[in-house]
Amino acid sequence: METAFIAISRDFQTYGAVERDGEVIFDRVAGFDQVSEERSRYAPKEFLMKRNENVLILNVENKTAVFGIKSCDLKGFYLMDKQVFGKDPFYTEKREKTLFANFVCSEPCSGGFCSSFGGPVLDQYDLQILREGEKFHVMVSEKYDRYFGEFKKEAGTFYSDFSNRFNSKLEPLPVEGIERRIKWNSELWKEYASACISCGACNFECPTCYCFDLYDDGNERKREWDSCILSGFTSSSAGNIRKDLDERLRQRFYHKFVYFKKSKDTYLCTGCNRCVEDCPVGIDIKEVITYDYNRE
Amino acid sequence: MVIPTQASGERVIGYSKSPVNEGKLCLKGYSGLSYNFSKERLKYPLIKRNGEFVRVSWEAALTETSNRLKKIIKEYGPDSVAFQSSAKCTNEENYLMQKIARVIGTNNIDHCARSCHSPTAMGLITTLGAGAATGSINSLDDSKTYFVIGSNTTEQHPIIGTRIIKGRKKGKNLIVADPRKTQLAEIASIHLQFNPGTDVALLNSIMHVILEENLEDTKFIEERTEGFSALRQELAKYSPEIVEGITGIEPEKLREAAKIIAKEKPTSILYAMGITQHVHGTENVMSISNLGLLTGNLGVRGGGIFPLRGQNNVQGSSDMGALSEWYPGYIPVNSDSVKRFEILWKRGLPTNTGLTLSEMFDAAVDGSLKAIYIMGENPLVTEAAISDVEKGIENLELLIVQDIFMTLTAGVADVVLPATTSLEKEGTFTNTERRIQKVNVIYDSPGEAMPDWWILNEIGKRVGGLESYDNPRSIFEEIRKAIPNYSGATYENIYPTGKQWPINKDNPDGTEILHTKSFPIGKGKLVPIPYRPPAEVTDANYDFIMTTGRNYYHFHSGTMSRRTDVLERESPEPYVEINTEDAKRIGARNSQKITIESRHGSIETKVKTTDKIPAGIVFVPFHFDESRVNRLVGKNLDPLSKIPEFKVVAVRLVV
Repeated sequence: METAFIAISRDFQTYGAVERDGEVIFDRVAGFDQVSEERSRYAPKEFLMKRNENVLILNVENKTAVFGIKSCDLKGFYLMDKQVFGKDPFYTEKREKTLFANFVCSEPCSGGFCSSFGGPVLDQYDLQILREGEKFHVMVSEKYDRYFGEFKKEAGTFYSDFSNRFNSKLEPLPVEGIERRIKWNSELWKEYASACISCGACNFECPTCYCFDLYDDGNERKREWDSCILSGFTSSSAGNIRKDLDERLRQRFYHKFVYFKKSKDTYLCTGCNRCVEDCPVGIDIKEVITYDYNRE
Repeated sequence: MVIPTQASGERVIGYSKSPVNEGKLCLKGYSGLSYNFSKERLKYPLIKRNGEFVRVSWEAALTETSNRLKKIIKEYGPDSVAFQSSAKCTNEENYLMQKIARVIGTNNIDHCARSCHSPTAMGLITTLGAGAATGSINSLDDSKTYFVIGSNTTEQHPIIGTRIIKGRKKGKNLIVADPRKTQLAEIASIHLQFNPGTDVALLNSIMHVILEENLEDTKFIEERTEGFSALRQELAKYSPEIVEGITGIEPEKLREAAKIIAKEKPTSILYAMGITQHVHGTENVMSISNLGLLTGNLGVRGGGIFPLRGQNNVQGSSDMGALSEWYPGYIPVNSDSVKRFEILWKRGLPTNTGLTLSEMFDAAVDGSLKAIYIMGENPLVTEAAISDVEKGIENLELLIVQDIFMTLTAGVADVVLPATTSLEKEGTFTNTERRIQKVNVIYDSPGEAMPDWWILNEIGKRVGGLESYDNPRSIFEEIRKAIPNYSGATYENIYPTGKQWPINKDNPDGTEILHTKSFPIGKGKLVPIPYRPPAEVTDANYDFIMTTGRNYYHFHSGTMSRRTDVLERESPEPYVEINTEDAKRIGARNSQKITIESRHGSIETKVKTTDKIPAGIVFVPFHFDESRVNRLVGKNLDPLSKIPEFKVVAVRLVV
């Protein structure tokens, strides 16, 4: 991997997951051996969509390579692509110039439910890395094949075998058909609203959420990450059409499991569990999937 | 935790190792930092010449500021100068500012703790010996009952609020006493929706029931407290049936609440501005202390008294002695212990009580105060009786404001010194659970903005002849010598998770729960507190009671949060919350502009109808320059702590 890393770092600014004060964050790295294989504290969305950025002038971006993103977080970008790629020039410019080298987890993490959405072996990737002992198996997309010219190509079923093993260890949730089961008037939404403090963690930490707000600051026009559970989100002259918090919380789940499925034929969730881990009141998206709506 | 990387701009994450929030943030955590990068940041020192601000060099600004201060001190004496410190600044900066004031010979040093938790310091130091939260945020997980009074916790201390929500969802008891139907009130076991300003009657009545039912902790009272018989005598007068006429709470409801508080122990009592911002704020705090002592809920994990601090460093700035009646570590200005500082600072020091925040502006009006040096405060928005503040400022010979933005107050200053934000400087903050935490430089400052400690250091050298400090660390080393409770803390051992004071030789890891064996004053004092009504009451002309406060989205005078996109979008304009039925009755529709008049002034604002507030009461947040609710608030001060009564103002609504 080090050889490939060196080759890549000639063409790209290299970033990687690294530990600082006990948290895994993303920072510049000079070698593959510096990259942490632990999951980062957050989904590194800001490589493609900064928390706060100027959108008046489209800058030509540097080519950036990010090592150590986990599959669940990377998958978020592929889901986002369906909505914003080619439409949002700022995202698109960065997306085209960023190489992601994702780590496939060898074991399920605590709380994660990625197997419900296909598991950690992705079928779209730039470099997909799976450790086996001291050895790395790497799947390379055509775009970046040149960095691995000298390596042995293996055909075969290593990845699919691994994927099957992984997904049998982490039993998938019954996601299929959730768009038909989920209930508009479920008591869940009011129950969640009674605890929710509108912090936005579920949006800000989600690897698939891409909404932003526009505002002006002096001679700049900027955008900033937004949260659909806030009352000012998508406000019209009559205010937010989803007046109460329970409606806005429901909207978030409906967007992920109903509307996105209908319009893009996939769920807007990767099973990363970040919204659960960072929710200060313990609202669990897994419950939305497994809840028995017929009972009500 | 803020992570700056070249590629990503800034990213805020909750630090999962932090015992304070366990990595959880509220909206202000996630979305609250854009102000730091605002184009409106102050970048250069400014001096007013012929009514216009002119950019000057630091050298020119420091020289002129110092010379003008020195001239005033020489002409009128040191008490003609006053300093307003800031609970948003670091311990080092607060320490330095109060040191400068005292070294030049005045105790005219105060800060916004006066308007929020001065009754806590005064009250709890009197009864327990330490004006601080007795437990840790973590210890709340071990409570069986939460008693929340005068705190809209989920909006003002959201992360602490979530601990209570989670506890409640697990089946713990939650008693909420609040005139408004807050989120916690909605999920509470019992909501005591009492009349504003009747806290003492309510608390005395709760204790009356506890004694009536023999639910007090006899052993604790005997071994750890004094003054029980006098308290018992006072409490005898507060039967729930009588008190109902004052508080509006049905006796049965109150009895039930009292029983839960006393029986389902440990009980944590959490309070905030709803308790302190009254003419009897200190008495409210002492009543809470009475309740904690009576039920034996002090010194135990899961029990305790939690004054919730409204700014990042109110605990620290108070610890540092940025208050007119205390030297660092709560040494009274008129006590012999001041000698300690005379030795440490190598000069004679003043022992007269200084002016408090609001008294400073009165003194400016009457001409005895000539100069005020304000660091990171915006009294033209946050002080009670704003018209007096305006008059006072007009009368000053010199107003110096050190801030990060051109606030309303900075706008009328003679000298404006550009400071850096907490993301741009080093130092320590002490949070609501006494945890001393380190902050580090993350970003460069815009223009020539400098850290507050640096500016103060330059002023201190020139005006007070102070020796120069090299950096915040060297100030902190002096703080360790000045305040015994901080003596064991170092920049190294408090990083990254912080440590709770007292941290010293005996407690090298800090102290999570206070008063486990004894109180710093020996025995806890039970103090009989008679109920007194609030200063303002309704009459035919002023028929509504107004309470003031913050909302979830903004911080204080809005200087920062109103320059933060998402927060400002969520709450873009001033408003008054009115009960839906009241609004109908007076003929005001939602979003309609109305005038609110009090005996002290009037403002225009927009109506927001809600059922979360009872009839007869209105709520107005104080964040907004364009409609300053503090124009309506009079100068009714708590005689003990000098806090103004921000929570009870008689008003009328003119549609």
